[in-house]
Amino acid sequence: MERSFAKEIESLRLGDGDTFYGEGILAVTKALLQSGVSYVGGYQGAPVSHLIDVMVQAAPQMAELGVHVEPCTNEASAAAMLGASIMYPVRGAVTWKSIVGTNVAADALSNLSSPGVTGGTLIVIGEDYGEGASVIQERTHAYAMKSAIWLLDPRPHLETIVHCTEKAFELSEASNTPVMMELRIRTCHLQGSFTARDNIAPDVSMQQLLDDPAPHNYEQLAHPPVTFGHEKRKYEQRMPAARAFILRERLNELFEGRHREIGIIVQGGIYNALLRALLELKLADANGDCDIPLLVLNVVYPLVPEQIAEFAKGKSAVLVVEEGQPEYLEHEIGSILRRSDIQTKLAGKDVLPMVGEYRSEILIDGLSRFVKQHLPAAGNLHAGEAYAAEVAALKKQAGQLLGAPVPPRPPTFCTGCPERPFFAALKLAEKDIGKVHYSADIGCHSFATFAPFNFGNSILGYGMSLASNASVASFQKRPPLAVMGDGGFWHNGLLSGVTSRLLNGGNGVLVIMKNGYTSATGTQELLSSPDSRLKLAAAEKSATHGEHTIEDALKGVGVKWLRTVHTYRVDKMRRTLQDAFSSKFKGLKVIVAEGECQLERQRRVRPVRTRALQAGARVVRTRFGIDESTCTGDHSCMRLSGCPTLTVKSSADPLKTDPVAHVTNGCVGCGLCGEVAHAATLCPSFWRAEIISNPNWWDRFKARCNRWLTAGAIA
Amino acid sequence: MSSTSDRTVATTESIEPLRILITALGGEGGGTLMNWIVSAARASGLQVQATSVPGVAQRTGSTSYYIELSEADTSTVFNLVPLPGRVDIVLSSELVEAARVLEAGYVSPDRTLLIASHNRVYATAEKIKPGDGRYNTESIESAAQALSRHCHLIDLQQLAQDNGTFISATLYGALAGSGALPWDISVSRAMLETSSAAAASVRGFDAAVSAIGHTMPAKSKNASADTHPAADAATPDSLPLLIELATQRLTDYQDAKYATLYRERMGRLQSVDTEAHQPVLQEAARRLANWMSYEDIARVADLKTQPQRFADVRAQCGASDAQLVRITEYLKPRAEEIADMLPVSIGRRMVKRVSAGKSFPLLGSGRRIPSNAAWGYWLLRTTAALKRWRRRSLRYQYEQQAIEKWLSALTTAMPARPQYALVLAELPRLRKGYSDTLQRGLQSYNTIFESMVSPAQASHFEDASAVDLRKAIDAALADDNHKALNESVIKFVPKPAISWPGNTASTD
Repeated sequence: MERSFAKEIESLRLGDGDTFYGEGILAVTKALLQSGVSYVGGYQGAPVSHLIDVMVQAAPQMAELGVHVEPCTNEASAAAMLGASIMYPVRGAVTWKSIVGTNVAADALSNLSSPGVTGGTLIVIGEDYGEGASVIQERTHAYAMKSAIWLLDPRPHLETIVHCTEKAFELSEASNTPVMMELRIRTCHLQGSFTARDNIAPDVSMQQLLDDPAPHNYEQLAHPPVTFGHEKRKYEQRMPAARAFILRERLNELFEGRHREIGIIVQGGIYNALLRALLELKLADANGDCDIPLLVLNVVYPLVPEQIAEFAKGKSAVLVVEEGQPEYLEHEIGSILRRSDIQTKLAGKDVLPMVGEYRSEILIDGLSRFVKQHLPAAGNLHAGEAYAAEVAALKKQAGQLLGAPVPPRPPTFCTGCPERPFFAALKLAEKDIGKVHYSADIGCHSFATFAPFNFGNSILGYGMSLASNASVASFQKRPPLAVMGDGGFWHNGLLSGVTSRLLNGGNGVLVIMKNGYTSATGTQELLSSPDSRLKLAAAEKSATHGEHTIEDALKGVGVKWLRTVHTYRVDKMRRTLQDAFSSKFKGLKVIVAEGECQLERQRRVRPVRTRALQAGARVVRTRFGIDESTCTGDHSCMRLSGCPTLTVKSSADPLKTDPVAHVTNGCVGCGLCGEVAHAATLCPSFWRAEIISNPNWWDRFKARCNRWLTAGAIA
Repeated sequence: MSSTSDRTVATTESIEPLRILITALGGEGGGTLMNWIVSAARASGLQVQATSVPGVAQRTGSTSYYIELSEADTSTVFNLVPLPGRVDIVLSSELVEAARVLEAGYVSPDRTLLIASHNRVYATAEKIKPGDGRYNTESIESAAQALSRHCHLIDLQQLAQDNGTFISATLYGALAGSGALPWDISVSRAMLETSSAAAASVRGFDAAVSAIGHTMPAKSKNASADTHPAADAATPDSLPLLIELATQRLTDYQDAKYATLYRERMGRLQSVDTEAHQPVLQEAARRLANWMSYEDIARVADLKTQPQRFADVRAQCGASDAQLVRITEYLKPRAEEIADMLPVSIGRRMVKRVSAGKSFPLLGSGRRIPSNAAWGYWLLRTTAALKRWRRRSLRYQYEQQAIEKWLSALTTAMPARPQYALVLAELPRLRKGYSDTLQRGLQSYNTIFESMVSPAQASHFEDASAVDLRKAIDAALADDNHKALNESVIKFVPKPAISWPGNTASTD
């Protein structure tokens, strides 16, 4: 795993009255323990990876409490795990990244919410929306509505988040309904504090085993005919119970303000951005004391009609601040007002943008339009316009002074990443086989969609690349290529892609990047992660070499054309790709591109090397470099690599004007530069140096001989 | 929660929080820096909130961190995102990342202290251009000066490296040393003492504190000159110096007679004129020198076996005297490169055979040569000795013909169209690289020469457009597949692979 959470695990033990300092997602983790959960599960992905990571690392401590931890192979298995709560009085929580994770989990969620739950059930949703998001921009809210799962959207404030987490279990039990809690990216990573309470050891757990399974109760099965009854119960019993609980526990917050003639209804998660916008408009102070009454919805589904009506009554206008599309809350609030015949004007997406993150500058603009229309008495009607003009002027001046747009800097493969050589090989192979339809997937390898590789004709979801080109395969001369990671393979790719292609006997080439971990989400373990024995045997080399679970699975389901190639064998990889595309075998051809994640390998190797150096043992470090004198500054090496340490610098030679290639000290000597120089017949400028610390007598003897035999030229 | 729900209207004035934005590249330790600031604020009894969008932070993309601070006895509602024009302190770990913050309007002359490391980490988009794709840093300096209240541009990366630590420590030191934080430097410094590799972090921190103390705190137009080390070696433009350097290089490359040929060729250009053509002559002096010292296998072998070169490699590796360094060269001479070195008639036959798809034993496969082991060294020295036959070689012949052709065009163009001549002088810039890259460069060169320069020369450059030629060179350097060049010079518009009614309208 990429990060160690030893310190954070200690803070999970805090008790009554202690102050917890830390990240939002870890505060939620602590709140789960304070709520007495019996089991926790989920699937990793930013921004909730840390919840999984800390749980896995803290598994021994959790076991003391009796809490079972299960990092699942995908979100569907995590959601299905919640099914325990249908029959047993146990609390459970799972987490994943949304919208994608909720999509994968959708089937299980429908089957969970239909019978409803006995024990409190919480799904912690990392709502990957807005800046920094890596997925399609959609709202989890839709799932809450269609499956009747309650949705919390707490204010980004650790006390509130922890309180909502604890109350979510009570709400779930009070209404026999699963509850989701959405936390946006920045909220998950929010550094703050809250006052802790003691953890609660669950009554039923791996420490407190039940003697017997629950009795057979057909009413609790998501199976006809009782599903018709479930639907009725959702709206006639569970939702009213939930609304009563929300009101009773005052989960939504009302802040009064002196301009009672208008009001704002806001999602809890947007509260802080809204307050900053109001501060800029001089309608609130920094402490959150606001001139306009606010109804803050920490529960965004279901709404409580009486609460909305009560808030809107007597006001000339109400603004709904609701991030994302479509505007579900605004529609529902509109219905509530119409049904109660309240003549308050409803504003929302008419003054605020339909799409995108609601940052304060966006809200300033929308708010000032709303205030101008409905509160003409306010003394600062032009504050919003003045702010917008000021920022526009700043941006314009910056643009003029800079002279050109700043170059983009998307994330890329790490220095020494074993996936990079594969894409160099593919770029070279394309010269012979021509362009092929490339179905990309989710994972580190999707960085190949950026420069310098620019690969990919489509991305259809995690583990879906092979499945997605089944149709393309049917109408193209050259078989299409699908690339997926081992993470994607186990998440979905084996079943959706491989078995379906085999069933249909379809043509195609699949490349599986076997780096041993789900690296893009923080190197979590997989079914095919190398075990400690393999890691020990591999030492500084790639530990994925001896791990054959993926190959065995492929053979087991009937893959006939299968090759495993180490990614650093660039030329061999190129030839293997050529073979696959020119093969007479018309069926699925799989190349396992093997090479252990560099982050994990370095983490293993570094301490060993440091210890060896300290002990005075012989240690060889490898790095690459470039002869400036032979480099012509054409940068073709960079177009085949994109390595962060292979860069440019001004030439020291006054006769050369173009910058020359240069390898920085960050080079880990992965070997790609040399492999590519050979495979691409690139340029003779690259050299590899092996720097031998504490050389032995044989090293020194050879060096002395060489010096003597070259008359000292190589001293 | 219920305790907060019935608050009354504000009666007291509240103070706005201090807002800090950090922009960095993933993997540089921005999160560590953020946590140091947060702990120092907590140690000072302040309210603090910080957040980030690390996502794929390990992977060297742009990333940012945002912190807000306020007095202990307040209950500030902290924001999670910076507001353009309302950031008090911006810290950037790299110059273009500072430009990104400026571009987005976060830096305001009314309130923002900008501390940015002056170093460059080139983005892929800048590196992959066949020419020079680097962003203009001078414009960033002037924008930083103009748009901030105070601005410090210091090479904090170098400072970190000098002190054996990471840029997070020097950025932190620069921030603490700027005096903008509402607590003492010693509080900031104490946070480092519990970190891993504390000694180095503290060293870097202290170095940055003192470095920022030496830079101009006030807004000053010449601050940038004081605050960063000299830019990359300036290109000396003096013609005599360039000719001298070229003479040395070509004597080394071949012999004194060859250098004389260079000076004779330059003499031809100089005789055309005078002062007015200085820039053309400088450009031509450079291009001709590089062209005449084209990299064949003898040249490469010679350069790789210079004593100074072995010393340079050791230095680049940071190898101490006690360490041994083994050097491996990655060479892959193909039949084409061998043919280049052979006498014209044999070389021609060999090229013919290669183009017929036949191969030669031992050639065309990658060789790893240990250049500082005896056998590798002498193999390379033997190859270097082939320069004795260079004058009779195939490549020598065609390079010299092309040089004469270019010189003739240039001498005609100089008196007629000096602007055009300046661009024409630069044209050989396209002839660079090895194997396929060189072939593509030559193809670009020939395409431009045959389709633009030769026809223009026929009419004594009367209607020759310097602008068009400039565009063609830029297009040739824009990509590595001639796409831009084909579109700009040949005006070749590829047909869409699939046609449907929607795309017929776009063909104009």
